[in-house]
Amino acid sequence: MIKKILIANRGEIAVRIINACREMSIPTVAVFSTVDRAALHVQMADEAFCIGDPPPLESYLNIDKIVQVAKDSGADAIHPGYGFLAENPDFCERCEKEKIIFIGPNSEALRLVGDKVASRKTMTEAKIPIIPGMMKSGRDVSGFKGAAEKIGYPVMIKASAGGGGKGMRIIDSPENLDKGIEAGMREAKSAFGDESVYLEKYIEEPRHVEFQVLADNSGNVAHLCERECSIQRRHQKIVEETPSCALDEKLRAKMGEVARKVIKVSGYNNAGTVEFLLDKNKNFYFLEVNARLQVEHPITELVTGFDLVKQQIRIASGEKLSFAQEDVAQRGHAIECRIYAEDPENNFFPSSGKILFMKEPSGPGVRHDCGIYSGCEVSVYYDPILSKVITWEETREDARKRMIMALSNYTILGIKTSIDFLSSVMGHPEFVAGNTQTNFIDKNMSDWMEKKKEKRFAKEALIAAAISSQIKSPTKRRVKGKEEMPTPWVTVGKWSLGEQ
Amino acid sequence: MELEFNIDNKSHKLQLEFKDGLHKANLGDKEYVVDSTVISDHCLSMLVDGKTFTVYLAEANGKKYVSIAGEQFLIEEAESEASAVSGADATAVDEAPVAASPMPGKVVKILVKLGDKVEKGQGLVIVEAMKMENEIKSPVKGVVDKVNFKAGDLVDAAQPIIEIKPED
Repeated sequence: MIKKILIANRGEIAVRIINACREMSIPTVAVFSTVDRAALHVQMADEAFCIGDPPPLESYLNIDKIVQVAKDSGADAIHPGYGFLAENPDFCERCEKEKIIFIGPNSEALRLVGDKVASRKTMTEAKIPIIPGMMKSGRDVSGFKGAAEKIGYPVMIKASAGGGGKGMRIIDSPENLDKGIEAGMREAKSAFGDESVYLEKYIEEPRHVEFQVLADNSGNVAHLCERECSIQRRHQKIVEETPSCALDEKLRAKMGEVARKVIKVSGYNNAGTVEFLLDKNKNFYFLEVNARLQVEHPITELVTGFDLVKQQIRIASGEKLSFAQEDVAQRGHAIECRIYAEDPENNFFPSSGKILFMKEPSGPGVRHDCGIYSGCEVSVYYDPILSKVITWEETREDARKRMIMALSNYTILGIKTSIDFLSSVMGHPEFVAGNTQTNFIDKNMSDWMEKKKEKRFAKEALIAAAISSQIKSPTKRRVKGKEEMPTPWVTVGKWSLGEQ
Repeated sequence: MELEFNIDNKSHKLQLEFKDGLHKANLGDKEYVVDSTVISDHCLSMLVDGKTFTVYLAEANGKKYVSIAGEQFLIEEAESEASAVSGADATAVDEAPVAASPMPGKVVKILVKLGDKVEKGQGLVIVEAMKMENEIKSPVKGVVDKVNFKAGDLVDAAQPIIEIKPED
């Protein structure tokens, strides 16, 4: 078994990993940037070392320093968490060279699944369904007709050099093809200086469905069922749930088998996630492998009963999977809401500052994975995820109601958060109905701000503010006109240990 | 005692009296009887006409952060009327509308040039903060009067990046 683990990350995921290690009696080493001295992961680990200035390249992405701390502290393994170095094949390879166990896939598999072109080729050869499309782009309009017939309408025109929707066109029938391609090429030319376009099948009302997979170092592979992560803003997931409303037993088994195959043909080991797009006719297409522990891993843990971080550590230690595919079953329903420091009233703009006060949700079936505390600073340097609320209940409807309850019991004062917005998502009739396509927020939440103007408890808030300005708490003090958070260290006055 | 507060820049007045252990609050033309008790530094329990409310409060820089059942409010005590009026005048004269980042970040791209006509809500500049790009929009219709930064520059919160001369 691994003896000591360095966690090359911060925030809620570092805390999550440290907790798993503590339960397994494995000592932990935290690393932190200068701005994170007071961060929760630093407080919780057994040892902690500062590795540099706040910009990630100076600290959490600094491979040399992290490897050096691992060696100096005697850590024989590194858990990269998600983000930062988690999917960096150079870091993984460096660990392999230095004889440090990288808790994740081997560097070769990591390199393969990170390369879109190479992995598409590998998957095509293995007959894994991918979004049908032209393998090459072109400028010759005549060649497109046959390609479109073969792919099947509707098709999407995409700019080769592209991104951001420029040059994109959806074509639903052959008569609109020529015109669409010409327009797409013109747009691509003006946006990117390159008129090359290609065709891809247009996926109607897609859902984002992914499969959690565990693979040991001896080639045993099991999937832990799906997660649906269709609700996204800025192409980033904010709500995830499992099981998916769109899957039945048969489709789940079929997609799960494909997910296992993807992992096998990639030579992948440890925990990974196979992402699919699922169209409205229940056709599914492989997108990519996320070669890491996912943000949304807790929902899988709640419905399958496996602790994914512990599984990762056991696999990395060389243990074989202790269960077979037949032993995996889903029970009940789990939903996760990601809590970000951001302002949903201002296009989800990140928010930073001091958390003046925080009260976390709790109760049966409520899990709170958290990297913050009352009085901590949310800095501008890193991803603004603060915490995750995960609820479990027997049915989707009960898990949803439990989530609304948990969010209403969750208070964070001092910075803007997405809690209120998420609560509205949970209460939306389309969410209740399970109509969760990737355009959910654009389609259903655009009038959210208008609706939010009518607050339910404005009168009570006003009364409370008035009362509070009359009850001046003796523990508060004014410092240069600023009200500071009272701490016992300020208010306790003179004291001494023992008898006077 | 009359008090005035701003919620989302809207002014609200209320009368508050404390008698026989209870607060009486007059809001609009309605009176509320409030039994309140301090639970902790950041928590106040209120019984308003028999209904219970658990209120979480914190204060910083003269602003009150209030949360009730997951609903959040940012409440400021209104200044006395005289100073409020002169304050408003001063800002009207001195400050042109600006595009500023609400938090420290890096200017990624300036989307307009000096002298450009801009519409209200038009994107002026893209700022990167917390690894995300954010478009700052023009608060008014007008003409770009000053561009104080270029791509790659670091900016502090509320530092004017672009100044707009308003036009009717």
